[in-house]
Amino acid sequence: MNIFLHELKANLKSLLIWCVIMLMFVSTGFAKFSAYEGNPELLAILDDLPPAMLAAFNFSAFNLTTVTGFLGVMYNYFALVLTIAAVMWGSDIIAKEERDKTVEFALTLPVPRSKLVTGKTLAVLVNCIALVLFTWGAAAANAAKYTPDEQFYDFLALSMLAIFVMQMVFLAVGILLGAAMKQYKRANSMAVSILLATFFISIISGLNKNLEFLKYVSPFTYFNPGTMLRELVIDMDYVWLSAGIVLAAMAGAYAAYKKRDLYI
Amino acid sequence: MNIYKHEFKMHIRSVVTWSASLALMIFIFMSLFTSLAIDAELMNEMLAQFPEELLIAFGMTNLDWTSVLGYYSFIFLFCQLILAIQAGNYGFGLVSVEERELTADFLLAKPVKRSSILTSKFLAALTGLTVTNAVVWVSSILAVNLYRGERTYEAKPLFLLLLSIIIFQLVFFSVGLLISLLVKRVRSVTPYAMALAFGTYVLSAFGSMLGDAKLEKLTPFQHFEPNYIIANAAYNTPLVLISVALIVVSVTGSYLLYQKRNIPTPV
Repeated sequence: MNIFLHELKANLKSLLIWCVIMLMFVSTGFAKFSAYEGNPELLAILDDLPPAMLAAFNFSAFNLTTVTGFLGVMYNYFALVLTIAAVMWGSDIIAKEERDKTVEFALTLPVPRSKLVTGKTLAVLVNCIALVLFTWGAAAANAAKYTPDEQFYDFLALSMLAIFVMQMVFLAVGILLGAAMKQYKRANSMAVSILLATFFISIISGLNKNLEFLKYVSPFTYFNPGTMLRELVIDMDYVWLSAGIVLAAMAGAYAAYKKRDLYI
Repeated sequence: MNIYKHEFKMHIRSVVTWSASLALMIFIFMSLFTSLAIDAELMNEMLAQFPEELLIAFGMTNLDWTSVLGYYSFIFLFCQLILAIQAGNYGFGLVSVEERELTADFLLAKPVKRSSILTSKFLAALTGLTVTNAVVWVSSILAVNLYRGERTYEAKPLFLLLLSIIIFQLVFFSVGLLISLLVKRVRSVTPYAMALAFGTYVLSAFGSMLGDAKLEKLTPFQHFEPNYIIANAAYNTPLVLISVALIVVSVTGSYLLYQKRNIPTPV
């Protein structure tokens, strides 16, 4: 419990900084939307397209003249920024003890190592939840002036949930890297490379039909904002897949940290 | 000279990793070109049906996927992202690493001026960046020629794109260096570099979504927009000058700040 509280306090500044970033990001995004809202030219283009095509290409999801469609486009950016936050926190939370030379102190405390990992994990988990909730609130507050309909709030809730699942995946992978990598200095850059690689994979998998199998590799492709908006459901298969990754990574992290050698 | 050698040795592994992953990415993306270009017509049709805002965000507008350079400029945006993170990393870590690892007092006790320490470190990192730059040059030209098939391309826009890399790297490097000297302590380099690179990238992608925006003019991703360079075979000079100004200001600022920096000691 003490470890948890201590970590929460230590990470508070970072959480606040991320909240400010998200707030700026959300507000500039929605400020831009004002130029799109009810734009007659765009509406005319959309009206000309046959409805079947609109559905086939998620076009209706990204109808930028409505605030809901705009959120559909923003979703990708939200996901990118929020997962960066998660992977950074995850890889840092354990590795930082060695970097800041406080690890001997932390490990001489009369608690088993597994408890240390639990406390730290819970602290970053709370951070992630707080950041997602904050983003949710900021988006809802910023959208309020465009008088969004019911569907917007449902979609917003769903996309935040999807992003939260993605955050969990990256958080767990980050923690695993921090706990398992021999050189703590590499954990951070490794986490970043994984995030970048999966981000690029998500782009490649959309380019070529033969490469579609890659979408299982990258959490960025797990939840399609278009489908989420139209059907207002979250793809449970991928939620289970994500849960599996999280469980495996956390189990690995506990096992690795228990035996970790420390170089002081 | 000793500092330079030591610093370069410290960087070399990371330089190799970054260069290799960049080359790998260029080749993987370029190798898709052959299959994409075969049904480029289909692709063009499909892309036309994509929501335009998405295409803009990923730099896929005004793109002729049937042309090699059109496709290459799409890849180049991602190269820029990676290069920005690398350069930012080096910039943020350049002097802050000494304070983090508690080696700063050792280094500063040497009979060398602070300015020459900074210069040696700067040059060492620059060498690393240039090696990466050269790798991007070689692998880009190789990949383009390897996968272009029968298609021809104009050399000038390609060279202009590749030439822009060095300024692009220097912007992120020097801004990172300046920020690392402005803050009291850099605990970990990566979050800073990620925030800088991804922040400016997202800002730029956002800026393209809506034509004339002021804030976006600040991001280097807009200064060296691949599509613009390919389409016009020229730089957007006023914007490039902003980048150059950023470099000059950050470098002078860094020298001034480092001269006066208070260095905490371990004891």
